[in-house]
Amino acid sequence: MNGYRLGAIGIVITFFTIITATVLLPMVLFNPVPSGHGNKYVKSDVVNPARGRQIYVREGCFYCHTQFTRLQDRGYGPLVKAGDYVWETPHQLGTARTGPDLTNEGGRFPSEWQKAHLINPRAVKPGSIMPSFSHLSNRDMNDLVGYIQTLGNQRTVHAYVEAPAEYEQVYLPRKTVDTNSDAAANAGRGIYTQNCAACHGLEGEGNGPNSISLEKKPANFTRAFYKQYPDAFWFYRVSEGVAGTRMPRFNEILTEEERWYLVAYLKSLPQNQEIVIDKLDQLNKVGQVHLPKLTEQEWEPHSGGN
Amino acid sequence: MLLDAVLSNREGSAARNFILSAIWWSILGMGAGMLGGLEFSMPDLIHNIPQLSFPHLRMWHVNAVAIGWLSMGYVGAMYYMVPSLAKTKLWSERLGNFTMWAWNAVMVGAFCTLINGSTEGREYAELGAVLDVLVAIALVTIAANVYMTVVNRKVKKLYVSLWYFLGALFWFPLVYIIGQRTFVALPGLNDAIVGWFYGHNILGMWFTTVGVGMMYYLLPRLTNAPLYSHGLSMLGFWGIALFYAPTGTHHILQSPVPEWLKAIAVISSVFLLVPVLTVLTNFFMTMKGKWQQVVTDMPLRFAVTSCMFYLVTCTQGPFQATRWVNWYLHFTQWVVGHAHLALLGTFSFILTSAIYYGLPRITGRDWHSQGLIRAHYWLKFLGFLLMMLSLTIAGLIQSAGWAFGVPVDQWGLQIRPYWGLRAVSGVMIVLGQCIFAYNAFKSLYTPAAKAADAKTAEVKA
Repeated sequence: MNGYRLGAIGIVITFFTIITATVLLPMVLFNPVPSGHGNKYVKSDVVNPARGRQIYVREGCFYCHTQFTRLQDRGYGPLVKAGDYVWETPHQLGTARTGPDLTNEGGRFPSEWQKAHLINPRAVKPGSIMPSFSHLSNRDMNDLVGYIQTLGNQRTVHAYVEAPAEYEQVYLPRKTVDTNSDAAANAGRGIYTQNCAACHGLEGEGNGPNSISLEKKPANFTRAFYKQYPDAFWFYRVSEGVAGTRMPRFNEILTEEERWYLVAYLKSLPQNQEIVIDKLDQLNKVGQVHLPKLTEQEWEPHSGGN
Repeated sequence: MLLDAVLSNREGSAARNFILSAIWWSILGMGAGMLGGLEFSMPDLIHNIPQLSFPHLRMWHVNAVAIGWLSMGYVGAMYYMVPSLAKTKLWSERLGNFTMWAWNAVMVGAFCTLINGSTEGREYAELGAVLDVLVAIALVTIAANVYMTVVNRKVKKLYVSLWYFLGALFWFPLVYIIGQRTFVALPGLNDAIVGWFYGHNILGMWFTTVGVGMMYYLLPRLTNAPLYSHGLSMLGFWGIALFYAPTGTHHILQSPVPEWLKAIAVISSVFLLVPVLTVLTNFFMTMKGKWQQVVTDMPLRFAVTSCMFYLVTCTQGPFQATRWVNWYLHFTQWVVGHAHLALLGTFSFILTSAIYYGLPRITGRDWHSQGLIRAHYWLKFLGFLLMMLSLTIAGLIQSAGWAFGVPVDQWGLQIRPYWGLRAVSGVMIVLGQCIFAYNAFKSLYTPAAKAADAKTAEVKA
């Protein structure tokens, strides 16, 4: 027995180290703050969504439907955050998408449609392979539909998109740039020209040379509508981009201060009467004159310059 | 005597009973999988019977094949392999038979609860609290039985299979107890982290470790060749011990869990190539010059097929766990195909090999029919290849659908032929398993064999 003591100790130490690192440490270090956008199961006279969630678990919906949107998913609504799941236990993230993602399903279809779909999926979605759940009692069915209708409702947009809470509470208070000053706007102009003009155009009219090839057209910042944008919302859009479009997430590229300068410039763009771009020749063009003239050595620095 | 009838003290009875129970649950489990597969092609096949709706069948299918078929079969195989490697008897046959009854009680409970939707709602950890406790007790008694057998061994050195068995029986009860989260309610994403620690380690710390240990036991015996390298086998063992356990988070790579945890998972997943390749080098070098035996020796053919599938599944795994491949393949039937490649292709085949090799040596009765063994092999092998092919193609279609934003309704129609092929493959596999069960039944319970029972009972491995 003694010959194997070292081996046994090795196994025990290895295993407990791994458990500490991958099970216990996340419990200690990873405690997301509730984001305020998680699902809220408010009971009404008609339905009890919390009970509907139990039905969802009992009927094993999560084997085919996931509940997290990914960066690359299109048409499934806003991206989820760690804080959205604080009250979700057992988790229903799911592992396979034989059917669509349900993260933001609430409100996408009328409740009558959802009910008909549960009873006979192929009546409302020809070609669907979802099993019929006609065996559910009326109460189960109503609660389940009530649960489905709450999914993502805290994230759902009613009249307009709102920036997540941390933009008001975290980023805005520590803003170092006076976004209403001309000086800051001037500073932001250079950042705009470098990063935004290719799509949004040199004057922010949404007419950059890139715009012609984009499915979703870049925003035209001269619209009066943009005067309503609060600073935090501008900052959110610049930082996290716009899901479903080519608008990138500039928090990966620009520092916080640079983004605030950019916001200062963007705030100077909206006009009372928007400049409508409706002709091809209104697009900004890439002129040869704007290209820097490089010497042969600058083009091919490694060639030794002949 | 009643005690002897219920908790037999006869040598090998625990192993035999475990194996027979495993075969029984495999038919119910794989049958449920087959029915579920048919429902993908014919969604209105079964109407208004909640017990047979796909999600309930799926819960039962996973638990029946993982906890019923594979785990019970593994324990049965260990109960004859460990004494034979330790050159001694099993520490307590009565305890072994007690565990067998406890485990069967768990399976009956699981059957009754899961198909009625009584679940904890955690994938791979669906069993309710009472059943969780029973499984934990059963695992601890199995571990005690095996550890005590090894303590009482007549040989000094531990063969590498014993390292794997003992390691698995140390790890798995802990993984099970942590992973079931029976009496705790963790916040959503933490629940998912622990859930996938369990979901992946039931594979890594139980199916792989015991399965590879069985391969180490079977290949040298079936080929009558010594193991190629003991040093290499130790390297493989420690590689699995180090790199397998932290990989769980690669199942939720794109959810908002901490990046450092994902990084650990991806890196250890890729490092898993090291133990896998050392293990397989060892096997294939052991097989050197013996490959022609695969033609005639059916248990060896099952074992070698299993090793080949192990190579495929374990190169697929690290590949899928990298972020960019996962980005594309996640959420699709490709992953389902991968899971079947590991559990059905690799570990089910090695367990079948262990049963074909072991059952005659435990009971002293030869197999009723070699032809049926061949039929079983071909049905299961071809059925599995068909399943793998159809699920992989279906998965790639789905991946393209998600990546390019094609609505579910549209790609759903494109994969219908592959659902059909998958259903056919399911029928083939279940048919093979039924032939297996029939063969086992005929071997053990034909009257002719009964007469010879007294004489052959003493014949052992």
